[in-house]
Amino acid sequence: MPEVRPDFRESLSKVEGAGELAYCYQCSACVGECPAAQYCPGFNPREIVLASLLGVADYLTEKGSVIWQCTTCYKCYERCPQGTHPIEVVTALKNIAFEKGTAPEGVAVLRETVKENGTIIVSSEAIESRRGELGLSRAPAAPVDQIKKLLG
Amino acid sequence: MIPLRHPQIEAAARKALPRVGIEVTDIEGFSCCPEPWTVKGASLDDWLAVAMRNLAVGEKAGRDMLVLCNGCYATLTEAAHIAADGSEAKAAADKKLSALKLSYKGKNRARHVASVLSDMGPDKVAASVRKPLEGLKVAVHHGCHLLRPADIMGFDDPFEPTKLEALVEALGAEVVPYAGYTDCCGKATHDPEATLKMASDKITSMKAAGADCVVTVCPACFEQFDLGQVEIKRKLGKDHKLPAFHYLQLLALAQGDEPEELGFKRHRVDVKPALSKIKA
Repeated sequence: MPEVRPDFRESLSKVEGAGELAYCYQCSACVGECPAAQYCPGFNPREIVLASLLGVADYLTEKGSVIWQCTTCYKCYERCPQGTHPIEVVTALKNIAFEKGTAPEGVAVLRETVKENGTIIVSSEAIESRRGELGLSRAPAAPVDQIKKLLG
Repeated sequence: MIPLRHPQIEAAARKALPRVGIEVTDIEGFSCCPEPWTVKGASLDDWLAVAMRNLAVGEKAGRDMLVLCNGCYATLTEAAHIAADGSEAKAAADKKLSALKLSYKGKNRARHVASVLSDMGPDKVAASVRKPLEGLKVAVHHGCHLLRPADIMGFDDPFEPTKLEALVEALGAEVVPYAGYTDCCGKATHDPEATLKMASDKITSMKAAGADCVVTVCPACFEQFDLGQVEIKRKLGKDHKLPAFHYLQLLALAQGDEPEELGFKRHRVDVKPALSKIKA
């Protein structure tokens, strides 16, 4: 039996909207229209909120966790009658997973791309020539030094 | 994402918006918003600091910020909302910004181009049309982050939207309803199979309703529907051939720009079958 840790939910509250999960009464309104629940058999926002509420959510921040299947469509946010925001609980769990180093590799790669370039796509001469074809000037330089400082 | 991966959307915006009476000014010093699914998934603090920096740059210039992308809209709008709430995360971002000699006081906001055009009025958009898109049946795909969370995004009803539809009709095109209308395109899930199935099912529904094309107001949704169809064909064996456009491309087309000027040749799904539906 996993140990119940009611204080776990406090660690989620840094993400705005994720701290309201105590109001969840497990009605499943969040599940009905959830695309991840429909397409990925292991994903269930109601179960994710319950596990987080009880503090038995360690399995959700392990490598290969279902939390990364969320499409961030915010339907759960709209449908919840209690103002619980399952999507933000998922975001908070993702933050914990990233800190633990268990997030999918692509997450760190994309963050690093933004840090090193200030953009998610890296500029190139091929891109600039395409901009030229469309009558656009060269893409403006991103403030890389400042972004490096912010993402340290 | 637009300037470097989908510059045809930027080109369409620069051509089309002045004709509707929108003057576009370039401000130096912006970075990626940043992208709201993965960067925010990694660290809310990092995401918020970069977003608030961009808002601060816009605020310093005394301007609201025009975005052509739901992701930019989501990040900048939500970050401004968090900044106004004054949370712990906001205080941490403030500290990081002050080290860059910047601060964000909440005096500006991001405006999605669909919201700006809708507020100006579909009539104003219609008045700029020279070659109406009559005969073209359009499946509208809003993209999740234009609509939800509705209390923060503030664009339209999160499940029964009407505003983008009115903007499409202003071009002379016909909007076709279809099953799963406000469903997600699936771009942001990290499940490689589900992402394609979500897009493929939505395209199937659009085609069943008689749509000639899908229209988005987001480069991520556009990419999912355009490049995504190449992947869908390869991995799911379905060759949908449903052309995809950003709304601004159709606006420029209806205003009289030639298809050759709008970057269609770089689209992965041939747009000619859709263009041929437009009555001359």
